[in-house]
Amino acid sequence: MLRRPDPARLITAIGRFASRERDGRDERTAAWLGAALGVSFTVAFVTGLISHFMQHPPGWAVWPSRPVGLYRLTQGAHVIGGLATIPLLLAKLWTVYPRLWQWPPVRSAGHALERALVFPLVGGALFQLVTGLFNIAYFYPFPFFFTTAHYWTAYIVYGALVVHVANEWAKVRGLRPGHGSADARPTGPSRRGFLATVAGACGLVGLTTVGETFTPLGGLALLSPRRPGVGPQRLPVNKTAAAAGVRPDPAWRLAVTGDVARELSLSLADLRAMPQHAARLPIACVEGWSAAGTWAGVRLRDVLHAAGVHAGARVRVESLEAGGRYRASEVDPPHWRDELTLLALDLNGEPLSPDHGYPCRLIAPDRPGVLQTKWIARLVVHGS
Amino acid sequence: MRVGRGRLIAYGLGAALIGVGGAGLLRDAAETDPVGWLVWVAGAALVHDLLVVPAVLGVALLTGRLPTSYRRPVRVSLVLAASVSAVALPMVLGLGRRAGDPSRLPQAYGVHLAVVLALIGLAGAVATAFRAIRAGRGRSRRPR
Repeated sequence: MLRRPDPARLITAIGRFASRERDGRDERTAAWLGAALGVSFTVAFVTGLISHFMQHPPGWAVWPSRPVGLYRLTQGAHVIGGLATIPLLLAKLWTVYPRLWQWPPVRSAGHALERALVFPLVGGALFQLVTGLFNIAYFYPFPFFFTTAHYWTAYIVYGALVVHVANEWAKVRGLRPGHGSADARPTGPSRRGFLATVAGACGLVGLTTVGETFTPLGGLALLSPRRPGVGPQRLPVNKTAAAAGVRPDPAWRLAVTGDVARELSLSLADLRAMPQHAARLPIACVEGWSAAGTWAGVRLRDVLHAAGVHAGARVRVESLEAGGRYRASEVDPPHWRDELTLLALDLNGEPLSPDHGYPCRLIAPDRPGVLQTKWIARLVVHGS
Repeated sequence: MRVGRGRLIAYGLGAALIGVGGAGLLRDAAETDPVGWLVWVAGAALVHDLLVVPAVLGVALLTGRLPTSYRRPVRVSLVLAASVSAVALPMVLGLGRRAGDPSRLPQAYGVHLAVVLALIGLAGAVATAFRAIRAGRGRSRRPR
């Protein structure tokens, strides 16, 4: 006769089986990995917030236009750091996995709350890394909009992490030399070897992808979803003219309207007749890749001054694109006054290709790629 | 157990962040699809806890039977190989490729992953051979 399985014995047996493998399964290894994860999730959270608020600036904040490559750096750290965190998180979960199968499952109200918070921490952390990876691979099997879900989940994961760190702080403190037992450094062949292996896995992931944004290592970017130098005019493209539904129009004119002294309507020849300037600036994509190009065209501030704008004006740059989340972008004074901010007509010595925004696109320093509006139709000046 | 002030502040901060995230998810429900979101968060945890770790445990128990000098390089190679494969998988599958945009996922990811895995395997084999030779020397030097 079959007896109903006793959950206590079953769970205990699974836990015992799960902890049969000893490699990487001690508290200090967990604490070291936890400390590293604390750093990497903090970097991801801060750089993610920077990216979010650059795209949705609150009224009181104005982003600087310098240093030129700041966003390139923060978003590269966000994405490549996130990829390198995948082995780190898996290692940490491996280290603490037997604790999933503890009996009794909860010992007190406090313990119940602590365990309940592990769910958003673990599920949420895995969610962030998996959806982030899928997003840079342009693979969307999920029912939510990636950016919004990834953004709000970040607060939940980081909040659960803050509580978790507060609970485990004593263990992390014990890692410092002179604290806790004499066994504070990651010594012992097993622990040191395990941690070195995890570090190697994180490093290998980083090494085979970082070249998509750090061009000197471009040759090693074997597994990155983008490659600097690959694309029309040697620059990658995120949205093509065909995808945006934009066709070259010989009758194209740039309209400058809104809060201006005199409205302008400029043809491509008018723009070419104005003083031309060149700038070497990167397209720095929210997806982590970046690549620099040599752009040439008219300074945005020259066009705005010709129309007569006040110093604190903001400019909405609107595309020929009929719809889409990024068909228009706002340019604040620090950016439009910057001499590097161009209404670009040329890229790498040739007129812009349709996929790079022909006849005219915005290119500005320290600005996410999605805000470097292509196929510009109108500049609408409005108050601050 | 007395709870210190620092810890209480951390609890408050953590709870506030979780509250902000949860409220935002619900406020933007049209974009976040809270039910679908929950399925993916819980699904990620379940797939990890019930499939990924048991599979790793199985491999760990299998490689645990190897002689000590082979075990470590084999395990290190497997960890490195699994890590790069997991990260490369969406690129190798190439489901995000779009006609008309050849700069998106432009590389031969299957070939590239194979090259990286081969290099890991080679390094693992060299390390194993090195360890075996060293272990053999140690044994022959031992007095009989």
